[in-house]
This record gives sequence, C-alpha cells and structure tokens, in this order.
Amino acid sequence: MLRKEINKISEVGKALISVEGNPGVALNHVVELLEAGTNQSLSFAKAINITEDFTRFQVFNGTQGLSTQTKIRMHEIPLTAGFSYNMLGRSFDGVGNVADNGPEIIFEKQVSTRLDTLNPTVRLVPKQPLWTGIPMIDVFNTLVKSQKIPIFAGPTEPYNRLLSQIAQGAQADVIIFAGIGLKFDEYHYFKEQLSQSGNIDKTIMFSHLAGDSQIKGLMLPDVALSVAREFADQGKDVLVLLTDMTNWSNILRNVANYQDQIPSLQGYPGSLYSELAKRYEVAADIEGAGSITIIGATTLESLEDPVPDNTGYITEGQFFLENGKLKLARSLSRLKQQVNGNTRSDHRPIMTAMASLLADAEKAYEAAEVGAANDAFSQKLLRYRTDFITNMEEPFGESVELEAALDKCWDILKRHFEPTETGLSKKLIDQYWK
Amino acid sequence: MNYNNKKRTGSLISIQDSLVKARFYDNVIMGETAEISVEGKSLQAEVLQIDPDHKNTDAGIVEMQVFEDLTGAQIGDMVEFTGKPLSVLLGPGLLTSIWDGLQNPLYKLGEQDAYLIPGMRAPALDEEKLWEFTPSVKAGDVVKGGAAIGSVPEGRLEHKILVPFNLGKCKVESIIEKSSVNITETVAVLTDAQQIKHKLKLAFRWAVKSPIPFKERAIPSKTISTGVRVIDFLAPVSYGGTVGNPGPFGAGKTVLQHSLCKYALADIIIMAACGERAGEAVEVFKDFAELDDPSTGDSLMNRMCIFGNTSSMPVAAREASVFIALTVGEYYRYQGYNVVLLADSTSRWAQALRERSGRQGDIPGPEAFPMDIPDQIKGMYQRAGADKGTGGSLTFIGTVSPAGGNFQEPVTQASMDATGGFWGLSQDRADAKKYPAIDPLAYTTSVYDSFVSWTDRNKMLQTLMEANGIDQTISTIGLKKVPVDKYVLYQKGQTIDFCVMQQDAFHKLDACTRPDRLKVINEAVQKLIDSSIEFSRDGLEDEELKELVKTKFDELRQWWKDWNSSAQSEEEIAGLSKHIDQFILQED
Repeated sequence: MLRKEINKISEVGKALISVEGNPGVALNHVVELLEAGTNQSLSFAKAINITEDFTRFQVFNGTQGLSTQTKIRMHEIPLTAGFSYNMLGRSFDGVGNVADNGPEIIFEKQVSTRLDTLNPTVRLVPKQPLWTGIPMIDVFNTLVKSQKIPIFAGPTEPYNRLLSQIAQGAQADVIIFAGIGLKFDEYHYFKEQLSQSGNIDKTIMFSHLAGDSQIKGLMLPDVALSVAREFADQGKDVLVLLTDMTNWSNILRNVANYQDQIPSLQGYPGSLYSELAKRYEVAADIEGAGSITIIGATTLESLEDPVPDNTGYITEGQFFLENGKLKLARSLSRLKQQVNGNTRSDHRPIMTAMASLLADAEKAYEAAEVGAANDAFSQKLLRYRTDFITNMEEPFGESVELEAALDKCWDILKRHFEPTETGLSKKLIDQYWK
Repeated sequence: MNYNNKKRTGSLISIQDSLVKARFYDNVIMGETAEISVEGKSLQAEVLQIDPDHKNTDAGIVEMQVFEDLTGAQIGDMVEFTGKPLSVLLGPGLLTSIWDGLQNPLYKLGEQDAYLIPGMRAPALDEEKLWEFTPSVKAGDVVKGGAAIGSVPEGRLEHKILVPFNLGKCKVESIIEKSSVNITETVAVLTDAQQIKHKLKLAFRWAVKSPIPFKERAIPSKTISTGVRVIDFLAPVSYGGTVGNPGPFGAGKTVLQHSLCKYALADIIIMAACGERAGEAVEVFKDFAELDDPSTGDSLMNRMCIFGNTSSMPVAAREASVFIALTVGEYYRYQGYNVVLLADSTSRWAQALRERSGRQGDIPGPEAFPMDIPDQIKGMYQRAGADKGTGGSLTFIGTVSPAGGNFQEPVTQASMDATGGFWGLSQDRADAKKYPAIDPLAYTTSVYDSFVSWTDRNKMLQTLMEANGIDQTISTIGLKKVPVDKYVLYQKGQTIDFCVMQQDAFHKLDACTRPDRLKVINEAVQKLIDSSIEFSRDGLEDEELKELVKTKFDELRQWWKDWNSSAQSEEEIAGLSKHIDQFILQED
C-alpha cells in the first residue's frame, strides 16, 4: 500500500515538529520522517496536537538534522509494540527496536501501547506474599504479588543494587527491565546481575541511556508495560523494574515545556499525577490470567519534591533508602495487611511494637543531641536504636527466612527492654519471651 | 433549560489530550453533552465554553472536554449535541452497584472486555430486573415534584418512586396496580398545568450539577457513631455534616476511609473513588462484600454503591464522578435515609479541574489551580446537609491529599474553610505507627455534646495537650529536670493517647468502639485525669520514683491494651473501671 506523503514542516523545535494545516493524521498516530531526496528513514514521530491550522508531532529520535524539506509519511496507526517470546534474553530501546547484536526478531503480534485501564472488576485482591529474604521488607513491610512500590532514595544511594537484589529473589516467570535515563554503568550493572543470577533468559531489557532521544525515554514505560501486560494476559507472573521514574518525569516536564504548557509545581505539568498513575496502575493480579508487579526507583532530593510526592499517593507504599539502610520510619507496604495476618501470630504485634519503640528512640536520639536523654529509659532506647539500625535496617547481606527474622526481633527486644516496656500483650510475652 | 429537538451537529477543528474544539452552525447550549464519532465509536463530551469563529462569521466554536481517550480522532470528525446536560439515572438498583465515573456498571463492561475500551457503554441500572411496585396514589390525585407515587423494596430499604423534582403540580392520569415491573416500563402518567403528559417509570435522569432540593433544610444535630474512638471522642461528625480529611501519603487516609465504610452507622454508604488506586476500590467491593453491616447483619455491600473513577481512568470523568455520587446521595436523602458519602480524594478532583483549565489556557491561580477553586470546593460541600422534611441526611467526608503534606496548599485551605470538621493526619504520628494518625491536637469539629459531654471532652483534650507540652520539655531539657507531679501528668496523657486515641483498625474487636463502650472508657479516663495517684515514696529519690511511675503506667497500658482487644462480656467491660480504681490507690 502506498502511504500518503507530505513535506510541509513549518517548525522544528527541540523534540517537536509542526506542519502547516492538517495532513489528515489522527491523534496519537505515528508518522515516519524521511530524508528529502534519498527517502532514508530518519525517525518516527507521534501526532500529539491536531488543529485545522497546524499539526504537532513528538519526534522519537530527536530533531537534530531535520529540515523543512524533510518528508512525512503517514502510517495511520497508533504506536504499537512488537511481542514475541523470542524477546526473552534480549535488549531493546524505548520504542521496541532491537538494541543488541542478536538476530532480528520476528514478532508474533503487535500490541497496543495505549495502556487502557484494566476493568477493576477483573482485578483480584492481592493476597500472595513475595518473600525477599530481607528482614526489613519481609517482617516490617511485606511485599505482595501485583504490588506497585518504588524505592525512594537520594541520587547517590545504592537503589539499583537493592532493586536488583529484590528482583533476583522474587518469584516471577518474566522480568521486564525498564530503564530510563540510565548511566551506562547502571545499564551494565543490571545486565551483569541478571546474567549472574541466571535470570537473564527470562528477562527483557528496555533501556534508554542518558543522552538518548528524550521522546524514546518518554515512550519507554508504555512500550515495556504493554509487553509486560501481554505476558500477564497470557497467564505469566511478570515483575517490572522501573528505574528511574524521576528521570522519566523530568523528560515529561521538558516536553510539556516545549509545548508551552502552564506548569504547576517546580515546572512539572499539572498532569504529572495522572501520567505517573497511568503507568503504575498497570500493576495488577488479573482474574483468569497472570499478574504484574512493579518495583520502581524514584530518586529525590526531598520527599516533598513533586515526583516522589505524587508517586507516594499512587503507589502502594515505598521503600525508603538512606545512608545505605532501608529506613523503617518512612517505608511502608500498603498491602502488608493482606498477608501478614496469616504468618506467625507474633508477626503483626512485634512489627507494631518495634516501630513504636523506634519512634520513641528517635526522639531520645534528638534529645541526646542537646544532652537531654540522661534518664535510664532513654539510654535503653538509644542502645536499642543502634542495634535496630545495624541488625534490622541493613538490606544487603545473607537472605533470612521470615521465622528466623521474627526470632531475631525478639532477641533485639530482649537485649534492651523489660517485657512491659514493649507494649506487647501478656499472651505473646508468655509465648515468645524466653 | 430549553432544549432544541432538532439534530444539531458540529465538526472537530482542534484536538489535544482530552480537550477538543468544534465548529458549529446552529446553536450550542453551555453544559450540554455531545457525542463525538471517532473511528466508528461514540465518545462522550461536555461543553465547557462557546466562542465566536473569527474565520467564519456564520459559525461558532465550541470547546469541550471528552471523557474518554481520543486516540484516532481527526479533524472533521462529527460531533452531535444531545441537548442534555451530564446526568445520572436515579432509581431502584443503585445500591450494591459498582460503576465507573460516568455510571457505566463495571461488571457489565467486564463482560465485553477485561480492559475499558473507549466508547464502551452499558445501561446504568439493570433494565431486566423486576421490582415489586406498590402504588401509594390513585388516579385523580394531585402530586408535585418530590412526591412519592409508590415504592419498591430494595434490599432492606423501601425505595420510594418519586415524581421528578422539577415538575410542578400534576394530576395523576393513571397508575398501575401493585405488580412487578422493570425500570423501563411506565408505571404512571401525570398531566401538568400546561396539560403536558409525563410518563413516569421507576427510574429517571437528573442533571448532576443541579442539586436535588431539600424539603426543609436543618442544622445537623445527631452524632454519627463511626466506631473510631479519636473521632467519636474528640472530633465527632453529625448526620448531614461535612469533614475534610487531609494527610500526606502514608498517614493512613485509606485505612480510615475503609474503617468508616465498615463501621459508620448509616443507612447508605456511597464511595466516590476519585482518581485514587484501583486496588483500594476493589478491596472494598470484593472483600467488604463478605463483611456484615454493623446495624443490620446483612452483607456490607447491600448498603453501598461505588463510583470507581480510579487514577488511570480518563481525568475528565473525575470531576463528573463526584457530582454523580453527590446526586445519588441527595436522592436517597430525599427518601429519608441517612447517607454517608466518602470522596477519596477531593484533591484529585481539584487536579482534574487544574489540568482542564491549564489546557484551556486560563490564567492560573495559586499552584496553577483555577482561581475559583475555593468556591467550587465550597459549592460541593454545601450539597451535604440534613433534611428535617424527609428525616434524611447526606454527610460528606472528603479526603484531601496535599502536595508535599503541606496543609497550606490551596485545596486543603479551601477544604478547611468549607467543612464543619477537619481531621488532620500527622506524618509524625504515622511514622511512629500511631494509628489512626489523626493528630489529637490538629482538628476541628462543629459538634459539641455528643457521646461524651463537651466538658469531659475538653478535659481529655487538655490532658493530651499538657502531656504533649511536657513531652517537648523532656526532649529539650531532659527528664531529670521535670518534677514528679508533671511526670505523672505526662504519663496520664501518654496512657490516654496509647490506649484510647490509638486503635487497631485490623483487630476484630478493637477496630470499632460503640457509644456504650465509649461511655465506660470515658469514665475511666475522667477518673484517671481527676485522681492524684498514691505512689508510695518510701524514701525514694525523685529519679527512682519516676522510674517506678513509668513501670506502673507501662503495666497499666499493657493491661488496658489487652482490655481493648479482649473485653467482651458485661463483667469484663466493667473491669476497666475497677482496674483504674485499684491503679489510683496503687493496690495490687
């Protein structure tokens, strides 16, 4: 079929181009940009704003080298992603092109990247724990299949190491790695880790490196999540690793800025919440099919920044990494209540008791800084705090089974407190305080 | 509004995200809905603004927001104006329903596809189901808008079949005998003063932005038992009242909403899941269906209906979902029922307005919200209220999700201004896992004497405040410099906080406290506050005495916490008072 072609590009900006009038393209449909004369394909682009006076496109490969002579060829379909089981073990760019030296892939089908909302009635209430062997997660913030949860961390924290450690232990049929704005060493690290753990054959990597075209980074989560969703629709349990969603949000901010949108907070568009939610909400346990679990990374300077702030309202909790430790106070798994009532009888109470004591200990720690923690109990709390940080908040190390981790909790309490000081019920004390 | 019956159309001239412009030649009515044909599907839209067409003086330009994804839309796509504003279908079958933000039933849509595909529709209420209609008027009677012409049983409720509220005095021309009918069949014919005939069915449509009137509006006066102690003691809410419930993420808004859903004593609970996580709404309609209604013992779902416009659904429908939920609430209020509407979250609703006004190019107000956002929020809360005329009420509890947890932001501020009650959730309390994290020192209420007297409540509050002050002193100058009597007061406050204000929402017994039990707790608390406890000094130094005080209070707290989660028989419940007496006298 001969596709319609036009050449009346009137405006070339940083990631966007406009053409005069309306060439008959539909919203979100894809066009191909061709070099004048040679007809060599330069890039694809997506129609994002259509009026009778002009039509505006996002250019996947960036706009460097485009001119008003560049030709536009219509494709008359929205962006799709290729899907095939042969993708396992392979690497792709943000719009699904092969990005390694492997053989060409013949796709079984093309899947829509529109990320239609899953009908809530076909969602199952998540009830299956995903054990990680990390006590701070398993005891205090149990991860649940189909959960969406980011790691919040400063830019220099080992968040990718933690992400990869969780991924290696997690039970999943397929792992989809979606990296946006990665530094090359981060990309390399994940590839190494996944290879070493023997998971590479069930992994598909979608990667966008810092400096690659912004639009490809912007599209990447949609392409990766659409492929993940197809696996889940076919009954697979899929784990998606999204790192780093702050990079993604910053691209979103840039592109909104190129479009002259009115910014809301710190330059981000007012739609930041909805845009993040659209991606994270793909996580689901689907009735009669598989599941998608999303673990993300969100780098931040401050929790009040718009990206972590909006993310926190969308995701089902967050793991907070600070000074290499998984901090109890700011971490939360919203789904833990679905699973931690069916484990050992002391699981929930000891989790609450230790958290409450740690909060008191933090207060004592602040008081100690001004020399006001001189009473005996404050001293107990301070020793408890040190013990807790060293033995409970350390995420890297030997994998610990849940029961052993709970026993470890009792050991810590016994080292520092009298039974009544813990706020635990007499029944539990009688059973476990030995 | 005067609607034209002639078919009116337009064609698209601009498309961006969910906002479109169309050229029209006939007439367009502000606020009416339209159907846009995109790739053979029909998408629903609402008129936002009408402008002149500078290119074509015979035409006008209409700006619309579209409630569904517009992928595939092109210049020239046809728009058909419906002449009708956005409306909701009111009638039997509302209860137990689960809809999207535009009243499409989600289970019915699920039969078509696992995903919500733009253009998918299904009738809002079951059109096949038969209802046992019993007439309450006869031919020749005169009725007017809001009057009941009969009723059908809906679960345990008597669902009155009302004359649409906009009709004036009408004569009943005919009405059917007691029989089983579905919602599409005519049950009565009325003739109005202009001799126009109106066919009444069990259900009718009502514009969501036109509040259903009160029969006789009254000040809310009766307190709702929510089962949540910190609310019922310190910040109670009345039937017909309004509450804003702000909190940073992770402070426990969702768990609190779920508690209210389960335990608040009301005839009907409506949940507007507006721009929040889908999983939370699913938990409500899948897990709560297994739970019992606290007042009837029925399945909890039988008193509920849910509008689920969750965060990944089209933003434009978010605004609609809250208005639709409010209208359903007003409808049941008019029938004389006590309705509690939980809107989670009003911030997402306000953000939808912000996204829209940004696209429309409006000059932004603070934090880019529309300038009139405080008025819009006030207008929304004002639709709640008590109706003396019908005996019904609509209580509106809206969560607020302030950006950065900052209560100074525009939506939180406007909500404080608009509501009669304010439950502020605190990050510090949540970090310390002190749930519910409603800060006992950061809330307001417009309800005075309720389950406990205003005096008792204030004494409780005073103790908490003083204990909080002493806590600050201990943190800054250390425990050593705090006198023993102040330390005892501090321990009293800590005990009230730990054993009364904090509550385990996941514990079968502790999760819900009713007024009879509140009374027992209040007596214990008042005794504890009023007493001077006789710790025997026995030549102890101050420091040693303080340690003794702490140990004794630790024991008391452990005992009381156990009581919270175990005392059930009358004798066990009465045990609290005895235990406090012994504690005050320091008897074993």
